[in-house]
Amino acid sequence: MSEPNLSERPPHDEAEELLPWYATGQLDEADRARVDAHLSTCASCRKQLSLERQLIDEFQAMSPEIESGWARLQSRLNAPVAAVQYSPTPPRPTRPNPFAEMWAILSRPAVAGLAIAQLAFVVAAGTILLSLSRPSYQTLGSAPAPTSANMIVMFRADATIEDVRRSLDAAGASIVDGPSLADAYLLHVAPQRRATALAKLQSDDNVQLAQPIDGARS
Amino acid sequence: MSWSGILQRPKAEEARAAAPDDRELIARVSSGDLQAFERLYRLYQPRLTRFLTTLLKRPQLIEEVLDDTMMVVWQTAGNFRGSSKPSTWVFAIAYRKAIKARARWPDPVEEPDFDHRVSEEPLPDEELHQERLRGALLKAMDQLSPDHRAVVDLTYFHGLGYREIAEIVGCPVDTVKTRMFHARKRLKQAMSGSLVDWL
Repeated sequence: MSEPNLSERPPHDEAEELLPWYATGQLDEADRARVDAHLSTCASCRKQLSLERQLIDEFQAMSPEIESGWARLQSRLNAPVAAVQYSPTPPRPTRPNPFAEMWAILSRPAVAGLAIAQLAFVVAAGTILLSLSRPSYQTLGSAPAPTSANMIVMFRADATIEDVRRSLDAAGASIVDGPSLADAYLLHVAPQRRATALAKLQSDDNVQLAQPIDGARS
Repeated sequence: MSWSGILQRPKAEEARAAAPDDRELIARVSSGDLQAFERLYRLYQPRLTRFLTTLLKRPQLIEEVLDDTMMVVWQTAGNFRGSSKPSTWVFAIAYRKAIKARARWPDPVEEPDFDHRVSEEPLPDEELHQERLRGALLKAMDQLSPDHRAVVDLTYFHGLGYREIAEIVGCPVDTVKTRMFHARKRLKQAMSGSLVDWL
C-alpha cells in the first residue's frame, strides 16, 4: 500500500498530524516552522493543540502499570476470602489459607516490579507477615484456644487510640498480639461473629488492611 | 510566532540529558561490565515496564519480555554502533520481543474494565472529574490496537519524535503519523465523552 505524499497534502492536514510532536517539542526546524505558520491562521488547530497538551499531561500523570498491577493484586487479595467462605466442605489441613495465599502473592517475583504505591503496601504487609507469622500462625491449625488470633489488621497511620478502640468494639474483636514493627495487630473474634467482624473491619475508614488468617473456618 | 510555549517535557528532557550516559554504559556493558549493566537496567526498567504495559496484557509476560530485552542488551551491546540513540535501540529490542511474546501468548480474552476501577468513595468534584477522565482515557487506550498504543505511549509519555518511533516499531514515518492521528481521534472522543458524563 502506498503512503500519501505529505508534500502534496493540504497544509492543514499536514500540520494537524504533526501537532502531538509539536506539543512535545520533538519536531525539527522545518516541520516546526510549517506548523507555526499554519497555527497562526487556523483556530481549529490552535484548539487541537490545547487538547494535545491536555493529553500529554494526562499521559504523564497516568500509570497503567500501577493500574494493572493493583487490579491483579487486589483480585488475588479478595479471591481467597470469598472462595473459602463459601466452600461447601471444610478445608484440609494442608490447604493454603488466605494468610498463606497472601504470603505467596507477596513473595512472588512479579510483586517486585510493582510501582511505588503497591510496593509501599507490599513492604508493609510483608513486614507484618514476617514479624507476626511465626508464633501465632503455627498454633492456629492445631487447637484454637479462645485467644487464638484469627485475623490480622492494620489501622490507618492517623488513627487515634480512640479510633482503634471504637473499631475493635464495633467488630467485637480483641487484640491478641501487636503492634508489630509495621503497626499491625493480630485479633481474635468469636467464630460466630467472624464474617460480620471481617466485613465491619474491611469497611471501616480507620482500617487499612483486614484479613482472616485462620483458613477461614466459619 | 511560536505556539510551542510549553515544549520541553520533563521526560523528554531527562531522556536527552541521559543520552551520553547511556552510550557510555552500553560501551562498558559490551566489555562485560556488570556494574554498568546494572546501572543501565535501573535506568531503563521503569520506562520499559511502562512501555511493555501498554503493549502486553499479561503481567508475567511483561516481566519476561523485560528480562529478555535486557538479556539481549547484555549479550549484544557490542553490536550497538551508535547510529541511533541508545534508547531507540533498547526500545526497538523491547518492541520486537513484545511482538513475538504476544504471538506466543495472545492477550487474555477477558480484559479488566477500567471503568470498574473508578473509586466509589465520595471525591471532591475536581478529583472525580480527573478520575473519570483518566478512566475514560485508559479505556480508550485499551480499545486501540497494541501498535497504536505503542505510538501513543512513545509520543505522549516517553516524549519521542516520530522518526525515532518509526525506527523503534520498524515502520515508515507516515504510518506512525497515521496511527497517531487515528489514536488521537479516539482519545479525544473519550475525553469529550467523559466530559458529557460529568455534565
